[in-house]
Amino acid sequence: MRETSLGGSALLEARDVRREYRLKGDLIEAVRGISLEVRSGDFLALVGPSGSGKSTLLHLLGAVDRPTSGSVLLDGSDVAAMSDPERARFRLEHVGLVFQRFHLLPMLSALENVELPMAEAGVGRRERHDRATALLRRVGLGDRMNHRPGEISGGQRQRVAVARALANGPSLLLADEPTGELDRRTSADMLELFQSLNEDGTSIVVATHDLQLAEGARRQLVLVDGRIQP
Amino acid sequence: MLILRYSARELLRHPARSLLAVLGVAVACAMLLDMIMLGGGLNASFRSLLTTAGYELRVSPAGTLPFDTGATIPEARATREAIERSESVSGVGPVLAANLLEAGRDDSRLFVLGVDPGEQGIYVLEDGLDPGPDEVVIGRELADEGLSIGDSVVLRPPGSFADASAAARPFRISGQADFLYASAGERSVALNLEAVADLTDRPDEASLMMVRVAGGLDPEEVAASLQAQFPGLQIASVGQLVEQAANRLSYFRQLAAILGTVSLVVTTLLIGTIMAVSINDRYGTIAALRAIGISRRSLVAAFAVESLLLCLAAASVGLVLGLLVAGQLEKILSDFPGLPAAIRFFVLDTSRIAWAAAGVLIAGVGAALVPAIRAMNAPIASTLHREEP
Repeated sequence: MRETSLGGSALLEARDVRREYRLKGDLIEAVRGISLEVRSGDFLALVGPSGSGKSTLLHLLGAVDRPTSGSVLLDGSDVAAMSDPERARFRLEHVGLVFQRFHLLPMLSALENVELPMAEAGVGRRERHDRATALLRRVGLGDRMNHRPGEISGGQRQRVAVARALANGPSLLLADEPTGELDRRTSADMLELFQSLNEDGTSIVVATHDLQLAEGARRQLVLVDGRIQP
Repeated sequence: MLILRYSARELLRHPARSLLAVLGVAVACAMLLDMIMLGGGLNASFRSLLTTAGYELRVSPAGTLPFDTGATIPEARATREAIERSESVSGVGPVLAANLLEAGRDDSRLFVLGVDPGEQGIYVLEDGLDPGPDEVVIGRELADEGLSIGDSVVLRPPGSFADASAAARPFRISGQADFLYASAGERSVALNLEAVADLTDRPDEASLMMVRVAGGLDPEEVAASLQAQFPGLQIASVGQLVEQAANRLSYFRQLAAILGTVSLVVTTLLIGTIMAVSINDRYGTIAALRAIGISRRSLVAAFAVESLLLCLAAASVGLVLGLLVAGQLEKILSDFPGLPAAIRFFVLDTSRIAWAAAGVLIAGVGAALVPAIRAMNAPIASTLHREEP
């Protein structure tokens, strides 16, 4: 485990977070009492084998899921105490999410996909167009804005997804296996993009199997059986 | 609005599926439209027909509907005068109907109506003049057979040849008219009332009297008042006659109501199935959209719009299809025996159709809401776990 110290303020604090669920009658302990802190400007990689609880932890940190016990403080708010609509609004405004399978809307252009969270947040047409254009240029897709996801490569789709995640200026960017569907060279490009965004001040947490991506992060945490390995 | 644009475009993502869905729902909508047109059309058409000539009441022999049997009103002149004396009546047109033979042309049968040309609501003159004492107005059927104004028609009552020949009388054709109540193919003519009375040896009888109500009065009340005055006759307003006819033809309405309901249920099930398949295909995307903060309300609205667009497209196609089918069925049913050819079985009543369209749209949106809400209630994290490898 490599760790680079950061002087920023605590952006995210997870305290003794547990997540249990039942599967066909069996109690599954996906996350077993994890505590961690992410400071502003951090770039953290969660690594570990399949089933180690990386994605579950990422969902808990991003207010997508609620912990069975423990607390998650993001931007000073206890996300576990929020109602579902409050958490949806919170995610919209404070968290950017990137998925392995991109989950872009195939019938919307890259520009429209990036505009979508802004439209949901009530940003006006002109402003969201300008911001989406700037974001797509930022991720290197200035010449692909009007292409639909089916008309661009996997790497470009994931860049659109990153731009969409940044649409509402989130405090934290969370990415779940963002290079899982990409080849090695495109994965390297994606790491460069994350590093560049991080250097610009974006705080990032990625859950990944990709050692190249994990090593490019400022620090790594290894998860095994729902616990952080010392 | 962006999420709604997504809904519209999503339908184009699977064009074959959307097209089949639209066609399926369109067929159900067409059936619903036809059933609505049939259900209310006959009544509306019958009412319209009965009021065409402006007579609001019908007087017929007790226990019959107009022209329903061969029964007649006795002492027709005195009865007419007595009804005319009522202040609530502005005109009375007696009609004496008979089946006569057209001598010399294979003795073919004619439906003959004796009328007072100055007070009648049986025909609408299209050419020429009303009949004088020895004149006749012919309908389109006879005109199509080659007869025209100025020609002569010899009429005689049915019966033994010798007696009938003695009673035969020639009539000059004075005009051509549209006979409002003629059934399909019926060969109708109109004569003076007295001429028919002479030919049929019924000097003071009428099959029917058509009564015009004085301006502003309620026909139902006038009918009730006259009925009390003439208990031996049957006096009914157009509204009452329509109701009686509607009772006789209630099976049409019941059939229409049952098939219309089935169509609406089929529409709901089709839309529900299509939307369920479509939404189930997108569980992962829906979970991802919810994860990035798109609200349940926005997503449900998007699916409702998707369904609404599907229903609108289907309803538009269904409207055209339904009208085409109704036109074909109308051609078949217009030959229904004993009914005036002018009766329309399928009548386009815009308000009823608007209600039906609203019903289809509400049913469609409602059907989409079930799978949409189910998708919204699926836990985001576990759905993403399942969808992501």
